[in-house]
Order: sequence, then structure tokens, then C-alpha cells
Amino acid sequence: MYKTEVRGPLILGDKNYRQISSDIIAPIDRPAPLWWKAVFGLGILATLFGLFAMYQTVAKGIGTWGVNNSVGWGWEIINFVWWIGIGHAGTAFSIFLLILRQKWRTSINRAAEAMTVVAVGAAAIFPALHMGRVWLAFYIFPYPNSRGPLWVNFNSPLFWDFIAISAYLLISASFWYYGMVPDFATIRDKATSKIKKAVYGFFAFGWTGSTSEWLRYEALSYVLGGIAAVLVVSVHSIVSTDFAVSVIPGWHTTVFPPYFVVGAIFSGFAMVMTLMIIIRKMYKFQDYVTNSHLDAIARILIFISLIMGTAYATEIFVAWYSGSQYEMFTFFKNRITGDYTFQFWAMVVCNAIIPQLFWFKKIRQNLTIAFIISLLINLGMWYERFNILITSLSKDYLPSSWVTYHPTWVEVGVYIGTLGIFITGVLLFFKFIPMIAISEVKSILKVTSIKKNESKISSHGQ
Amino acid sequence: MDNKHIIGVFDEEDALMEAVHEVKEKGFRIGEIYSPYPLHEAIEAMEKTSRFAFVAFLYGFAGAAAVLAFMYYTAVIDWPVNYGGKPTNAFPSFIVVTIIITILTVTILSLLTFSVRAKIYPGKAYILPDARSTDDKFVVIFDKSLLNGKQTELEDILKQKGAVEVYEKELKPEN
Repeated sequence: MYKTEVRGPLILGDKNYRQISSDIIAPIDRPAPLWWKAVFGLGILATLFGLFAMYQTVAKGIGTWGVNNSVGWGWEIINFVWWIGIGHAGTAFSIFLLILRQKWRTSINRAAEAMTVVAVGAAAIFPALHMGRVWLAFYIFPYPNSRGPLWVNFNSPLFWDFIAISAYLLISASFWYYGMVPDFATIRDKATSKIKKAVYGFFAFGWTGSTSEWLRYEALSYVLGGIAAVLVVSVHSIVSTDFAVSVIPGWHTTVFPPYFVVGAIFSGFAMVMTLMIIIRKMYKFQDYVTNSHLDAIARILIFISLIMGTAYATEIFVAWYSGSQYEMFTFFKNRITGDYTFQFWAMVVCNAIIPQLFWFKKIRQNLTIAFIISLLINLGMWYERFNILITSLSKDYLPSSWVTYHPTWVEVGVYIGTLGIFITGVLLFFKFIPMIAISEVKSILKVTSIKKNESKISSHGQ
Repeated sequence: MDNKHIIGVFDEEDALMEAVHEVKEKGFRIGEIYSPYPLHEAIEAMEKTSRFAFVAFLYGFAGAAAVLAFMYYTAVIDWPVNYGGKPTNAFPSFIVVTIIITILTVTILSLLTFSVRAKIYPGKAYILPDARSTDDKFVVIFDKSLLNGKQTELEDILKQKGAVEVYEKELKPEN
């Protein structure tokens, strides 16, 4: 006789359905806590500062930035790629894990998707500003215009980028929204105030939870999930072609698309971990976001960190193996040693070495350390983009055009602004939207409960 | 219009399904089943199927064809541009945009199809027999006019199978 080790219950505390609804809706009914108001205020300040910096950029022009002829892409593109990377967690989490039928995703996917929508929205600000004359941004849209009609260049990665990111934003936002419709209906039907009933009732689109609705709802989520899974790979591959199709040393490599995609999922998962630890701590959701959920994320981070290390090693190896003196210079004289040594090693340490600490169970379970590591990963990912952009551009083929690049306060300001937008967006999500997918958690409650697992074990034993 | 329904409320998914199978066997017509999360068994019992995946495939096919045709028209027929002597019909690099726009087409049209077929749209006047079914109750309803006087028999079956409440209600759309 043997005992089958079945995965432990995903939701702790022996909840019933009613408790799940009330637990998750509770933060919406309560007035916002003090820490929420304080951080929200900071977020608004940062956003205002960012808006002022954006106004400077638009009113005076790109000259207010530190970019120059050699370093044509500075902080803006670093931050753009950084935010897009963070915005990969939503699809990676909810869609990959949905089509793989992973039940543990249900506690986390809603927050990951919310984060995705806000991060991709923040990212989209940068290329728009970088156009210089942002009021002519609609030129990139292929429409029958009075200039010929002159169509856009469908072979340009920059155009692909525009298409990929707008599509990604639209698709992840609608996927997120349709996931919330049944939960809005739950809030509507539990609401005691008339205003709340009307507002959430409007957003619930008349959802009742009948079989004819659930049937199509599930079909829709699998169709969207199946097709949007491609986006996880395609969006950041396309971002990487912005670099990889050029002839700049350090950019012109075939490893870029997979390297970028993995890096994006890495930073996205790290940001999910940061947020889930905050949600768990601040809203006391320990029963829903359990240690085993965070453990699973930490294990995934170890794996992705190994891939990142391999990618860095591959780049260095190929720089040597190609025999190209420019590649050799970029990697060995300008990254591993040279002016940008600190940024290079910060990237390696934060992304490839520190996450390996998650091999130790004690560290996976110590949420303070896990929280710090998750922040360090996103710092490391920022340095990675810094390395790719600034080291390659500042010292290219022609030594006479070598320059040093420093961001101006306007560039830093726009970045702070996007951080502010992200913080306020995420906080609004905490306050007004159920942070955990209520109906999805209910659907996995019984199948993963202790009782069910015990009956499984005993039936195996007999 | 008389829209009276018999409503059975259950605490547990299993009890509901037992009752549903029993009343189906006895020849009652189930009006609808409401649950807080998707119940595949209930969907099967209602004998409902969906051709959603097939329709989505058609959308994707049409989307891909339309995008490729559009790019061919703009880049080859309407305004061919010479990029260093490269062919104007750059099929391999058109694929990138084709994939993305195909996904976008499928998403938008699927959302619209869902909205039309499941009748989920902003401002809809909905009929929800028991408001607790979006929280923790499983609800099955029967049209009273179709019962032909077998109401007591039905109510007995529901109660015997573990319904916590059985009652009669006139259903009205809410807003």
C-alpha cells in the first residue's frame, strides 16, 4: 500500500463559496487604507511630474533629451523595452497556464493581466514621444491618405512594432475585461448600495451565469487564449528585430528574439512576484496567494534565470567566435571591461546569479528576501536594456563619433511619470476590481480541496 | 404575460446534478441552470453545444487572407517602392504583420460573436431568477406553463435531491 502525493490544496482555510466572494470583494467595500492613500498620492505626484516632462518634450522638442547623433536611442527606448517586458507576465501567466490547464494560475492571473495592461500602456508613451511630432503619430497607420496615397513600409520592424504593441494592448485588455464580467456580476448581486449596483451592473453586461453564457464564455476564453499565446512570443520578438536587423555591433545577432522573449517573461514574472507579495501582505490574502503559489513562481524564475545566463554567455561566445573585431570590442572592451563595466556586471549579477538563490527552500519561503530578489531582477533587466542600447550606440564603428550619453531631467522625468502611471493604475485596480478571479477560484476549490485529495489517496490505497 | 417559474436552489454542485438528471429522466423540461462557475456537466445536461472554435478559425482564415491581399495591393500594385532593388512583394516579411492582424481579427470578431450569441452587452436587461447564483448557490428553473399540473411531483424530486429552497416566482427583466 502506498500513498500518492497529490499536490496540496490551492486555496487554504477550508473556505466555502460565499467566503470566497466576500473575502475577495472586501477591499472594494472597505474604504481605502492609509498606505493606499499615501502611495496613491505619491503616484499622482510622479505622474504629474512625468506629464510636465512630456509637455517639455512636445513643446520644445527632442532637443530637451540627452540623445545625440550617435546615441539616438536613450532612456526612452530602454524604458519602452523594459515596460513591454514587464507587460509580458499577463499573457505568460494567464494564457500559457490556461492552455496548459494549470489550476494554480487562478489566484494570480487577474493581477498579472491588470499589470500587463497598465505596463503596456505606459510603454506605448515612449515611442509616441520619440516620434518628435507626436500629433502626426497617425501617419504610421496605413489609411488611404492625401499624400499619394503613400502607404507605410510593411517591411519595417518599427511598423511591426507599432502593430504588435497596439494589438497586444487591445487583446490583453479585452481578455482581462471578459475575465472580469462574471465577477462584476457577483459584486452587482451582493451590492447593498444603489450606486454600486448600477455601476458594477453596467460593467457586468447583464451577466447571469446561465449555461448558455458559460458555454460560450469558456469557448471564448480558450479561443482567445490559444490565439493570444502566439503574442507572448511575437511581441517581444518583434521588439528585438528593431535592434537585430540593424548593423550595430552587439545588436546584429540571431539570438535576439528568443533572448528578448525570455527576458520579458523573466521581468514579468518578477513583477508578478513583487505584486503578489504586496497583495498578500496588504490585503491578507494568504489563503489565496499561498506559499505554494510563490514557490511555483520562484521555481520558474530559477529556470528563466538559467536561460538568461546562457543567453549572456552565448552572446559573448559568438562575439569571440565570429572573429568580428567590432563585436569583440563591444563585448570585451566596452561591456565586460571598459566604461560600462558596472552596468554589465549589474545585469549579470541581478539576472543570472542572484535568482539562483531560489534553489534554497529557505529563501523561497522567506518573503522579504523573495521580494527583494524580485525587485533586483527588474533592476537587472533595466540594466540589460541599458547595456544593449547605450554601450553599442555610444562606441560604434567610427571612433570620431564616440560620445558619452547622459539623460537630462526631462528623460528621467518621463520615466518617473510612467512609474507614477503604473503605480496609480495598479492601486486603482486594487481598490475597484476584484484582485483575484472569483469565479475561477470557485471552480477549482472543490477539485483541489483537502477532502477531495484525501478521497483520492484512500481510493488508491485500497 | 405569465412568466411564472419554479425555482430550485442548491448548495452543492453534486446535489444539483443529481436532481437535474432525475428530473430529466422523469420528462421535465429544464428552463435553465445558473451557477457561480462553469459546470460542464450542466452544459451537457442542457444539451447545448457551440461552434465557436470553428467560427473563430473562419475569422482567422478570412483575416489572414484580407491582410495579405491588402499588403499586396498597397506595396505591389498601388505604390511600389524600390528598397535597394528588393522585390516589392516581400512575402516573408509580410508574414509578421499578417500574424498579428489575424490574431487581432479573431479576437475582435470572437468578442462580437460572444456578445451576440451569449447576449452579453452593456445595458442589457437581464433575467436572474435568484441573485445568490452568482455567489454561492446553484439554481435550476422550470417554466410553470410547461408542467401540466405536475408541479408537486417536480417540487418533491427537487427537495428529495437536496434542494435547500424550492419556490415559485414571476421572472422579470432587471436593469
